[in-house]
Amino acid sequence: MPKVTINDRTVEVEAGTNVIEAGVKVGVQIPHYCYHPRLTVVGQCRMCLVEVWQNGKKLPKLQTACSTTAAENMEVRTDTPEVRQAQAGMMEFFLINHPLDCPICDQAGECGLQDYSFKHGVAFSRFQFEDKRTYPGRERIPLGPNVILNMNRCIQCTRCVRFTHEVSKTGELGFFNRGARTEIGTFPGKELDNPLSTCVVDVCPVGALTSTRFRFAERVFYLDKKPSICTGCDVGCNITIEHRRGDIKRYKPRFNPEVNDYWMCDYGRSTFERYKTVPRLRACRMRGQEGEKTGTETMGSWKEALDLVHRRLRLRTDGAVAFLGSGFLTNEEAWLAARLADYAGSPHRGVPVDLGAGWTIPNLQGGITGTELAPNRRGAELFLRPGSGIELEETLGGAGNGKEKPQVLDPDELLLGDGASKCAVLVVLDSDFGRGAYTPEVVERLRRAQFLVVLGWADSPLAKVADVALPVATHAEKDGTFVNAEWRVQRFNAAFPAPGQARSTVEALADLLGRFDAKWAGLTADKVFDRIASEVPAFTGHTWHTLPATGSALHVPGAHTAMSDAAAETLPEVS
Amino acid sequence: MTEAPVPQTRFPGFTPEARAQLDILRARYPTTEAVLLPALHIAQRLSGGWLPDEAIQAVAEELGLPESKVYGVVTFYDLFHQRPVGRHRIRVCTNLSCQLRGSAEIMETLHHELGVGEEEVTPDGRCSYVHFECLGSCDTAPMMMVDDDYYENLTPNQVRGILKGLK
Amino acid sequence: MAFERVLTRNVGNRDALTLDGYRKTGGYEALAKALKMEPDAVIEEVKKSGLRGRGGAGFPAGMKWGFIPQKDPNQPRYLVCNADESEPGTFKDRLLMEHDPHQLIEGCAICCWAVRAATCYIYIRGEYTKAAAILERALKDAYEGGILGDGVLGSNFKLDMYVHRGAGAYICGEETGMLESLEGKRGQPRVKPPFPAVVGAFGAPTVINNVETLCNVPHILVRGADWFKSIGTDERNTGPKLYAISGHVERPGTYEHPIGITFREMLEAAGGMWRQGTLKAFIPGGASAPILKASEIDIKMDFDTVAKAGSMLGSAAVIVMDETVCMVRSVARLAKFFNHESCGQCTPCREGTNWMELVLKRLEHGEGREGDAMLLKSVAGNVGGNSLCALGDAAVGPVKSLVERFPEEIDAHVRERRCPFPEYRYF
Repeated sequence: MPKVTINDRTVEVEAGTNVIEAGVKVGVQIPHYCYHPRLTVVGQCRMCLVEVWQNGKKLPKLQTACSTTAAENMEVRTDTPEVRQAQAGMMEFFLINHPLDCPICDQAGECGLQDYSFKHGVAFSRFQFEDKRTYPGRERIPLGPNVILNMNRCIQCTRCVRFTHEVSKTGELGFFNRGARTEIGTFPGKELDNPLSTCVVDVCPVGALTSTRFRFAERVFYLDKKPSICTGCDVGCNITIEHRRGDIKRYKPRFNPEVNDYWMCDYGRSTFERYKTVPRLRACRMRGQEGEKTGTETMGSWKEALDLVHRRLRLRTDGAVAFLGSGFLTNEEAWLAARLADYAGSPHRGVPVDLGAGWTIPNLQGGITGTELAPNRRGAELFLRPGSGIELEETLGGAGNGKEKPQVLDPDELLLGDGASKCAVLVVLDSDFGRGAYTPEVVERLRRAQFLVVLGWADSPLAKVADVALPVATHAEKDGTFVNAEWRVQRFNAAFPAPGQARSTVEALADLLGRFDAKWAGLTADKVFDRIASEVPAFTGHTWHTLPATGSALHVPGAHTAMSDAAAETLPEVS
Repeated sequence: MTEAPVPQTRFPGFTPEARAQLDILRARYPTTEAVLLPALHIAQRLSGGWLPDEAIQAVAEELGLPESKVYGVVTFYDLFHQRPVGRHRIRVCTNLSCQLRGSAEIMETLHHELGVGEEEVTPDGRCSYVHFECLGSCDTAPMMMVDDDYYENLTPNQVRGILKGLK
Repeated sequence: MAFERVLTRNVGNRDALTLDGYRKTGGYEALAKALKMEPDAVIEEVKKSGLRGRGGAGFPAGMKWGFIPQKDPNQPRYLVCNADESEPGTFKDRLLMEHDPHQLIEGCAICCWAVRAATCYIYIRGEYTKAAAILERALKDAYEGGILGDGVLGSNFKLDMYVHRGAGAYICGEETGMLESLEGKRGQPRVKPPFPAVVGAFGAPTVINNVETLCNVPHILVRGADWFKSIGTDERNTGPKLYAISGHVERPGTYEHPIGITFREMLEAAGGMWRQGTLKAFIPGGASAPILKASEIDIKMDFDTVAKAGSMLGSAAVIVMDETVCMVRSVARLAKFFNHESCGQCTPCREGTNWMELVLKRLEHGEGREGDAMLLKSVAGNVGGNSLCALGDAAVGPVKSLVERFPEEIDAHVRERRCPFPEYRYF
């Protein structure tokens, strides 16, 4: 492990580490544009030039830190006049042909040229009597559905080109022409259209590549940023929710070498828009008096609504009590729902999956492929497994007489079969659980339950026909954990509070459970997680507060799906 | 730029001779990618001296390379043309040694005789000309390259004579 | 001085283009001799001779050959002959290839034997169609004559040699730019290290040598390193040298002299100034070399002397300028060349060569300003030393020499707001 000294700070690094990475380890930031940890080193922006001594001898020219491997007896300096002159010189070269677009450029506030110009550049221009180079007709070219190119702003670092060839391996972008006229682009007539295409916007240090979705949406310095997990699929990419006072403007990927590395897919980036386009459930809504099927809707308080639900759960006339989960439930919500099902003496629980497959997000272990477009079917299903809780039901003397095993109403039965009509109470834990919630036939079937309770953030067609609709938080408004396709549990926290009467599902369920037994009242997600960790073998050893930032792998043998692929095929596309 | 009625030779596909040539070339290099420059020379010849997009796509497919990479290579080199050229392509060296010995006059003569500017094609599709960098014939300056041949020690009169001989 | 031609001895002898004709002049004896020697002994002989690269960098050839790792006998190794010759003012390699192709083939074969390479590519610039055709013919004859192929001259040394045509890019004369172009990519130079001797063509150790350099090798083998050393200035500047002289001389052309001949003698041998003009300035080694003034006419044209004078011998492409020449215009044309040929990868070269051309154009068009000379010097200072490859350094050579040696010409352009020299000509 070679020891290298950078600006008098010595550090021991792995063999093969370059000087930029070594600098990061000792808090020395070496400016760079073309270098990226996941792309081949090209050493072409020349911004990372540093002075290097090897075995006491100074190398005759400045070296690029990105292409210099840290070696034993190597000394590096980044603060000498020669280095400063080179940095100022390079900044000047970048800016002479760069348009003064800051006032209209999305990148302002997170721009590599702005940042290094401030730190390493000079405050005046000497390019006064010549014309700037431009690329006429290439100022706002859609390269594909998600990315717009402004070639005038490009600094020819080729990160985007290398990304499409080395990471997404789709090779759409190329470096064309030569010399001062070099430009990036696609083969004439071809598009930049791969599942990871918006990642080139992330890697572009300047505003040459911008996201069509985010274009002109918000100034980045007005954005509040909260780390979270994407709910697009079960890869569980780590993201940052960037919002302005609760109005989400974009998702950006957050580095997690165990899951999504530096990347996320275009679909995942679009998932926050549902929170703004689908009508929002903001108040508790009850139908009729004492839950009669007919009758007008009234808005009520949480107390009134939960009291009603509690009564109907205890009442349990003819019929089963069933619980329909969702791949979007957090582990804590699913576990509490299972406890509620236990109190109801019901084995009828499950998690439907009727959304398609996701894409592969590359990482250093090869990549993770999304198998369904929901983040936590695995976690939810651990706790809401059809048929579990039967022992409890027999103890409570529920429907079934203890003589024969009752038919378990699993999600297939409920959504596609006749299951709901056999229910005295059907509790749908997520009004946006999948395509079914928006399919008229499915909604009709579920409506046949005698008493339909729907929790959700979305005022979906299903929520509209509920006997009790309870408004809850989106994942951006609550704390929770998800389990991804590789059985890794990851934690996220609320970015902003939920609107109106909406509360987190954990709060709502704890409140409801509290009516069965006071010990449940007031539970929060962190406490629920710790309870799970103490009771469920796969989670042993974890606590909410000590969960690592990169998540933690669980060991769960024998995974299974709740809804068969064939059954899912019968549902129409989700809107 | 003149939109000339040049016979827009579309890429006719690789002829059997061309394929035979490519096979010989493939055996010379450890990677298929290395055949790219020779393959582009062949394709350009088949397309009448320039490389339409179809030719580029055909080469990309033939060698199993991404189109963007092949396009990047085509646009990098001065001898690969992406716009139609005349049946005869003239390149006049105007670098220092030739400039010292009168390359400017040669360019002016061509402009005058052909009636078109640089990079433009004459209306009858016969010629196009460009200025070029050092062609390695500085001792016989001024000079120009017509198709594959060097014409050296030029005077404006000689240029006129050469042009007359081009069909 | 009665100097017996070595490299150009077959120029004018059309018979030497054929295999038999070449053999009659003693051809392929050197290769036969080399095959009987240990490869390392061949490298030693070349090292001893002091042969320095004739392509521009002047790096000792034998030392370069010695860098090739030999631990693994099954590892592929390559020789790439640099026949890209695009440095303005240079045309010597073309002469060698068109008139004595077998000399080059023999030199390449000996090098391949010495570094144990089984494949040699002659990367020739695309514009040299005639030379490429002549080489192809000579290679065909060589294969048929048992010089190349499965058993070179009856030995069990297997050697393949091919011509690879470039497509018009000066930067492909840079060694890693050449390797990229050979591999079928844009000719963009690579970051060094790793150097081609370790990771070269197709990832394998590779030697890259200029045509003239390799043409010297058969003569070194046959006549000995000591003979080679006896020609030239001192033990660091040895051997015969081809000087390509052009511009305002009576008889431009390629002349073979012992390395270190003075410029005055060279000028005389080329017939003196064109139309009895007065010498104003001359470039000793191609467009990248800083321009020297007429007062330096007695300079010895070898690597070290020219370097000490603040310029470089480079490819020994000598461009002569008389009193009618505007230095600003000339350097502007060279700046245009470097801007056109820059590959565009690295920032200082891409932007800096562009900027320098714009400033020089402005000066030449009479729109120069006070401070332009300082600006050029500063920009050149930021480009030189900071670029990814030597083209950046080359581009600043003429600009720096203009500012340092001919400041009064820049001043005249600024003051008079026009070019004071005869008639502005088309660029």
